[in-house]
This record gives sequence, structure tokens and C-alpha cells, in this order.
Amino acid sequence: MHKILGPLLFIALLAFSTHAFAHTALMSCFDEGDDTITCEGGFSDGSSAAGIEFLVKQNDEVILKTRLNEFSEVNFEKPEGDYQAVFNAGEGHVVTVDGKNIF
Amino acid sequence: MKKLALGLALSLAVTTSAWAHFQLLYTPESALERGEIIQLRHVFTHPFDDEHTMDMGRQHDSDELSPVEAFYVIHRGNKTDLRDTLKKISWQGNANAGAAYQSEYGARRMGDHVLVLKPAPYFEANEDTYIQQITKLIVNVAGMPTDWNANLGLKAEIVPLSKPYALWTGSTFSGVVMSQGKPVPFAELEIEYLNHDIDIAKNAMGKRRVEAPQDSFVTLSLITDANGTFTFGLPKSGWWGFAAVGVGPDEEYRGKELSQDAVIWVQVRDMK
Repeated sequence: MHKILGPLLFIALLAFSTHAFAHTALMSCFDEGDDTITCEGGFSDGSSAAGIEFLVKQNDEVILKTRLNEFSEVNFEKPEGDYQAVFNAGEGHVVTVDGKNIF
Repeated sequence: MKKLALGLALSLAVTTSAWAHFQLLYTPESALERGEIIQLRHVFTHPFDDEHTMDMGRQHDSDELSPVEAFYVIHRGNKTDLRDTLKKISWQGNANAGAAYQSEYGARRMGDHVLVLKPAPYFEANEDTYIQQITKLIVNVAGMPTDWNANLGLKAEIVPLSKPYALWTGSTFSGVVMSQGKPVPFAELEIEYLNHDIDIAKNAMGKRRVEAPQDSFVTLSLITDANGTFTFGLPKSGWWGFAAVGVGPDEEYRGKELSQDAVIWVQVRDMK
């Protein structure tokens, strides 16, 4: 039963996120102080960003590709050197935060 | 003639003392680009004229000041007690110094952080009454709206209908005056502009900004409609305080009359 519910829930979350595309995409990241970074995503109308694609790039290469969890956030190991966190909700709804600006 | 002069002097004194008290809950910036630790100042003052800073928690029969009853934050519906973060300070107004508090808060996560301060009732000797102003300040991180319009069901509360941290000069601010979660029709609102620069490093009021052409312009007045709602035009950038007077259910404190008020602070920006 759980095997069916999981994908259904994920599809529902994606459908809900689609509603938000008329609004501004938002992302905020912070350093957890334990060599990990947490990024939170959302939309300006308060819509959830659960299931939205999230990337970490370094030297123009994608080093992490995942999706925001049910709380619209993701936690990842802090890369060495320069990097960018990318919230990718589709064309016109991409937010990039430079690692230098994550404290 | 002497009686007339005395009467006039008394009348002026009464007029002066009647200017609105406002519990200030101040931070320099209410719309943060990203999460950060913010500075807060908790001062009981007269924001427009700054002619007297009150000692927070003053009682009628004791020199000891009563501590803050509650100070907490609501973020994504979760409540966190912040009373331990309060530190006593002396706030230097332009006329006198008063007992106040400072605190820091880590507004780290994205969304709205609704700060609520419930000070101990303050004894106003001029009126032989107590005043308790339950005060809200809403700080947003990264533009994500989460809690700004929540009805917290406080004894006295102004629930915003406009985001209090996203207001242009010349726009309006709307809200609903509530008592225990229910609208208060025809409630009396007092509105004041924070008319002085704030020096957060020195815990002091700074330079005055504007002059009022007449006393009616110091504390502006508004009455809510039959549904408890109001709308006010915002003519100048800076902080504006709204106080709904005597809307809380508690009418007596330690044998004296109590005015239990709701206060909210909103920040207004110029379009540049």
C-alpha cells in the first residue's frame, strides 16, 4: 500500500507546485555549522516547493541533483571551494545562490 | 486670574500626559534577504514626540519592576519561548532614560517570524491605571510568506491584512482588531510614527524627523468598522505603530483599572 502512496503523494506535490509557477520562486540557504548546508525553497504566494529540482554546481558541472523534500528543503554536504546552489522550478523560475553568500 | 492660569497649566499637563504610550518592539530591518541574527529593542515610549520613556513593568506600590510576562516567536506555526534572551537595559530617550530590554533572535529559516511581546502591566500614575500592550512585530526572511496573517487568538491582537514588512510609501496598511481571536467592532486605534532615528548601539533615541502642525497629528486616531477592520494610508517611510486601546478582556490589575491593548509595528519603504 505504501509503495503506491509514495509515488501518488509525490505526483500530487508536483501538481501543487505547478500552481505556483505564476509566482516568484524563492530560495534561502544557510550553513548548519556541521559542514552541511540547508536550502529552503518556496514561492511568493506561500506555495510549497516540495518535489522541485535542486542542483549543486561547481565549475559549471552538476555535482548534486536532487529534489526538495516534503518540507521544501534539502540538506547537503558543503562542497570544498566555490559552488552554487540552484533551485530549478522551470524557465523563469530558477534561483541561484552563490556559496560565498551562504553563512 | 491665578485660577485661570493654574487651570490652563493643568489642562496643558493633562493634554501632554494623554499622548499615546506605545510598546516599541524594534528591529532595524523587517524584510531580510536571508536568514540572520537580528537585534531587538523593547522600549515603552511615545514614538512621535519621545517626551518620556517609561520604565517597563513599573508597579504602583513597589520600586521593583515586574518582568515581561511573555516573549516568543511563531514560525511556521511553531512557538518558541524567547524570554531567556531578554537583557535589561537603560534606554536613553531625548527627555529621560527608562528601563527597557534588548534581545537577539536568530531569524534563520525562510518565512515569517511573528514576535510577540507581552510586558507586565505598567502603572501610569497620571491616570491611576495600568496599561498592558501586547505587541507584535513580524520579520520575514527571503520573501516567503508563512505566518504573517495568522490569528494567534491573543487577548488583544491586531491581525494584519497587509504584509507588515512589504509596504511602499503611499500605500495602505489594513488589519483586524481582535480580542481573544474575535473581531472588535468600532475599536479605537491610536497610530504613531516612530519619529526618531534609533541608535541601537547606544540604546538611545536619535534625531527627530518631522514636526507635527498640531497635536492631533502626533497621535492619529481611527475607529475600526463593524467587522473590526481598518485601513490606514502610509504617508512616510519608516516604522508606524498601531495600538488598539482597551480591547483585551482583562480590565483590572492589582486592584486598579487596566487597559489591555494590542500593538503592531509595520515598516514602510520609499520606492527608489
